[in-house]
This record gives sequence, C-alpha cells and structure tokens, in this order.
Amino acid sequence: MKKTYYNSIDMDTFKQELKAEIIRVLNLDGMQPDDINDAEPLFGEGLGLDSIDALELIVLLEKNYGIKLEKPEDGKAVFQSVNVLADYITRNRKK
Amino acid sequence: MRLLQYIRVNSEGIWLNGRFSALPTGDWAEALYRQDGIQYPKFFKMDHLCRIGWMASELLLAGENDRFEPRTDRAVILFNRSGSLCNDTQYQTTIQDPDNYFPSPALFVYTLPNIVTGEIAIRNGYRGETSCYLLPDFDAGILVETSRQALQDPGTRSLLTGWVECAPGQSDDLLLCLVDAETEENWNEKNLLQLYRYGHL
Amino acid sequence: MKIVRLSDHLVCPLGHDTETTLEAVLQGRSELRLHSDWQHLPEPVCASLFEPDGIASAFAENGQTDQGYTRFEQLAIASAAPAIARSGIDPASPRVLFVLSTTKGNVELLGGNGAGQSESVSPVWSAERLARHFGNPNIPLVVSNACISGLCAQIYAPRALQSGRYDQAVIVGADVLSSFIVSGFQSFKALSQQPCRPFDRERNGLNLGEGAATLVIGRVENADGAWTLCQGAIRNDANHISGPSRTGEGACQALKATLAGICPDEAAMISVHGTATLYNDEMEAVALQRAGLDHLPVNAYKGYLGHTLGAAGLLESVLSMHAIDRGVIPATRGFSEPGVSVPLQVSNQPRTTDKKAFIKMLSGFGGCNAALYYRKGGTQ
Repeated sequence: MKKTYYNSIDMDTFKQELKAEIIRVLNLDGMQPDDINDAEPLFGEGLGLDSIDALELIVLLEKNYGIKLEKPEDGKAVFQSVNVLADYITRNRKK
Repeated sequence: MRLLQYIRVNSEGIWLNGRFSALPTGDWAEALYRQDGIQYPKFFKMDHLCRIGWMASELLLAGENDRFEPRTDRAVILFNRSGSLCNDTQYQTTIQDPDNYFPSPALFVYTLPNIVTGEIAIRNGYRGETSCYLLPDFDAGILVETSRQALQDPGTRSLLTGWVECAPGQSDDLLLCLVDAETEENWNEKNLLQLYRYGHL
Repeated sequence: MKIVRLSDHLVCPLGHDTETTLEAVLQGRSELRLHSDWQHLPEPVCASLFEPDGIASAFAENGQTDQGYTRFEQLAIASAAPAIARSGIDPASPRVLFVLSTTKGNVELLGGNGAGQSESVSPVWSAERLARHFGNPNIPLVVSNACISGLCAQIYAPRALQSGRYDQAVIVGADVLSSFIVSGFQSFKALSQQPCRPFDRERNGLNLGEGAATLVIGRVENADGAWTLCQGAIRNDANHISGPSRTGEGACQALKATLAGICPDEAAMISVHGTATLYNDEMEAVALQRAGLDHLPVNAYKGYLGHTLGAAGLLESVLSMHAIDRGVIPATRGFSEPGVSVPLQVSNQPRTTDKKAFIKMLSGFGGCNAALYYRKGGTQ
C-alpha cells in the first residue's frame, strides 16, 4: 500500500499530482500545477490562502494519505512549501 | 426612504435597474464574473448562495463612487426561504458515509446563510449591520418594514437589502435593492412587489 | 415607549426552568461531559447535552402532547409555553410577533433516510409550527445570523414593536446538537475535549451545548421597574468569514453604538461571548479595551452551558437578568489564569453588585458582532 519514491523523477511526478490536488480542493481558479513554485511558501503572499484553506489541507492529508494532524498549529511547519509537504507526506503516509 | 438601484434575477433573466439581459447558461454567476473580468479568487471558494448574492451585489454596486472605502453606515440585510440548504446537503455528503467520513471545513463554514452578508461586507468594506432572516416566502411588506426599522439604528443610513434564494433543484430567485434614508417614498411594498414580479417599475 | 421583559423561561441540561438553571450556575455546576461514540462520531465530544429523553420530558412537563414535533421543535415549545403562560399575553393575537432564533433548527433530519429532503429541515417550517402551536396568525420571523442570532432577535423584535405594528413579541432561541454541527466544529479544530476555559491561559477551544430560552417582551409607556431592552447594535468586521478580527473592529463598533448616550458605569457587568477559543477571547479583550470598557466586570457562561449557538444570546441574557436581580455577577467557570493581552475583570468567583444594568455581547461566523444594553427600570 505505502508508496515510497526511490528517484527524483517519481518525486517530481508526485509533487505535480499534489499541486493538482491542492488546486482542486482549494478551488484555486485558473491555476495550473506549474504556477506553484515548489520552494515558495504556500501561505502568506502567493496563493492567498487562509485559515480555512489550512484546515482543508489537513482534511486532504487524512483523506488521501491517512495522515492525521491533530493540532492546526502543526500545519504551519508541514505546509511551508510543496517541497516540505511532499517530503512530509512521503515519510508519514499510511496509504 | 429612497430606492436607488435594483437587480432582479430569476429563471427568465436579469433586470438591472429595469434593463433586461438574458441569463447566461449554466452557472450564471460564474459566467458573469468571468465576463466582467473580476479578480476576486475567493469567489471560487464560496457556496452557491454566496456566489449568487455576491455577484448580484457586484452588478448592483459597480457604478458607485468610492465603492471600497470602509464605511459603517450601510447595512446588509438579506432574506430567503431555504437558508443554506444547498450547501447543507453538500456538507452532509462529507459525513454521511462512515467509511468515507471527512467533514469539510470549507463547506461547513457556508452552512450558515448569513455568510453571504459577510462576503458582501468583506468585499465592499461595510462595517455596519449585517443581518439574515428567513421567511416562508418573498414578502414585500416585511422586507420594506424591516429596512425602515433598521434605520432606528442611528448609525445606519443606507441598506443593501433583498431576497437571495436558492434551493436544490430550483432556479435562483433574487431581488437586491440599494436604498437610503432620504425622503422619496418610492421604497414601498407596492413598488417592491412590482420589481419582484416584473423586474422593473 | 419602552420595550420591557414580560416573562422568560429557559430549558437546558442544567435545568428545565430559569431559577433551577441559575441556581446550578451559582453553585458552579455544569453538564459539560466527554461523550464517546456520540452519534457514531469517530472523535469524542465534550458537550452539554440533554439526556436521551430530556427534551421530551421538558416538553411533557408543560402539559404539551406530542403532535409529531421534532426534538428541536419540542425544545422550542418547552421553553416558549411557560413563558407565554406567565406573561399574560394572548399569543393568538395578530398584535403578537413570533421570532425564532436558531442556527440549524432541524438540520439533523438531513442525515435521515431521504426524509431530509422534505421541507421540515428548514427553520421556517419549525417557526411556523411554533407560531401555529400557540394559535398565532402572523408570519413568524427566523433570525439566522450565526452565533449572534439570539441578540439579533432581541434587536429585531423591539424595532418591530417600536414601529407600532405589534404590541408584544415572543422571542425563542433554540438549538439542538447533531452530528452535522459537531462534526463541522471538529473539522474546524475549534472544540476542546475538556470543559472550556474562557479567557484562561490554558484555554484550547469551545464546547457546544443544547438549550432553549424564551423572552416575551412588550411595548409599554413606563418600564415600572421591569427589565428594559434599551439599545442594541449589530456591526460587521468586514474582515474574514470565520476568523475573529484581530482588531476587534466589529465588536468594538457594536459596543460603541450600543452605549451611545449611556453611561457604561451603570452596568454591573459585560456578559461576553467567551467561547474559550484562542482567537475569540483575545478579540473580545481587544474590543473591550478599544471601547473603553475593560474596567467593567466581565463574565462568560460557556463553562456552564457550552456554546448554545442560536440560543446563546437569549439564555445568557435571561440568566444575567435573574442573576443581577439577586445582586450577583456569576463566576466565569473554567477561568483561572489570565490569558489575553488586555487585563480584564474576569473572575472564577461570584461577585456581588447593587447595579441594575448589564451589557451582553456576541460574535459569530460571517464577521458579525452584536451588543445589547439591558437596564432594570428603563433608560435614564
């Protein structure tokens, strides 16, 4: 069940999928995965995300990857950037 | 009280201050949003009730001077019948199946029908009264009375008020009016009913 | 003309009438408990819930017989019937307005097998059943302004009375809990699994609660020592649909508008929203300071009742009237160490007062805030 990525090509594919999923669940109209820079902060400037988006990303983690974040504060570290998030998911995913 | 602007939307079309245009097919609010080239990404996070109420208010207020200057003297007082039922049923689907139970905060926040008054307040910087009431049917008498009574708050000098109704499987039904406290008695039950029935005075 | 209280009645897990509930509050009791597997929710919930037959028994205590009312409707009627009886008004008169304050009414019916698609999910349906139960011929108004609905109803109804169209109003606030509501607050990570701790350093979220309260008001020439609903206001933050404003803008403006022309030092206390979420309590503290009210005693009831949503404005105002009648500012249960940036006069002990006025304030989703000033004997 658990997926791991052995090479950077797999990881890049995963990040593209992840970004597409973020765009879908957060209703980021008109955005494409390539519009999101993997290293840039998800919150703050950029995508204009807010506290409800952070909660919705917590749902995404649980629904798609079986990862439970109990405290919304923990999201701050995990949702720093697509790079950080993808790495976190890869290490903690249960499905 | 004085009626300044109005917009009526139903299955037959849109009347903006009496001028008719056909309803774009599909999601009319989204079609008009795109057509007008509005840049407001939060629109796409809104539920259907907020989208239609918000978009109608955009059309209604488009010509106003100093539109986005924060103000406390304008109230947003909206009515409908079905509350947030469209979105409530959608939220329910996220919790209905115990094997696929993922309650969505982005849907839950819209399970309150007054959120549409908040969305309009945020967009326009309205820090005055915002209220949402439910009635069994559109009632011109109660709408006019409520807006008159709202002026008992000395801070309120104008109102964005009206009917914003959507329900699963039914056509959207809106009448939004911009009124102020000036004495020109064209804001009355008869005129409001006329607007609701025919889209123009 | 003055708008005064004619009678009240409340029903909650702490008591089936106002006096019993106030007594429990003054003794520091609460029905907030951790419930596991409640309505098959995966997470436990700490809430103030009626016993499984609690609402039905409160309904039956009043001599009401079941006519196919839902739990929510039974609760609303159980709070309204004794209040109406004691007020002496004729609820069947066209000069009486019915106002129902609720956030979600019968929403639990949505989870049923298809039954949820019927009209009965709508609060409008329940409001009509409530008004017809008492023979009232008017169209009842439902106030649906999130968590501030209970105060909005007490602002709307006096306006309607002042306009002369009605002589009296029956204002009912009620909400019952369901998996719909609880799961949503859980998804917001807004709930504490312990009894909540308003304004405390260790506060970590709110508790939900069930309850209903009814206030019957009338328009009179002279207040004659009755509790008067003097002046209230609703203001929006115009900031965010769920996050409290960091500057407390709307709450501050609602307070200022409510107290225009009134000397706030006449007030025994400000009964705040005090949900015990990190951001709400901080926002209220900032708003109170900006409005120049941070020197007044503050109290919050959520540690006894939980957040009773559409009922909160009525429950908490009614309790405040009765507490002040006894010369008491109720303690803020759950508070221990100050945990907001502004020093406030919060206490976990009851305080005595000889003042005869108070301010009630609430804030809610949609950025809305409301405040209302009550005074015994009317404005001066």
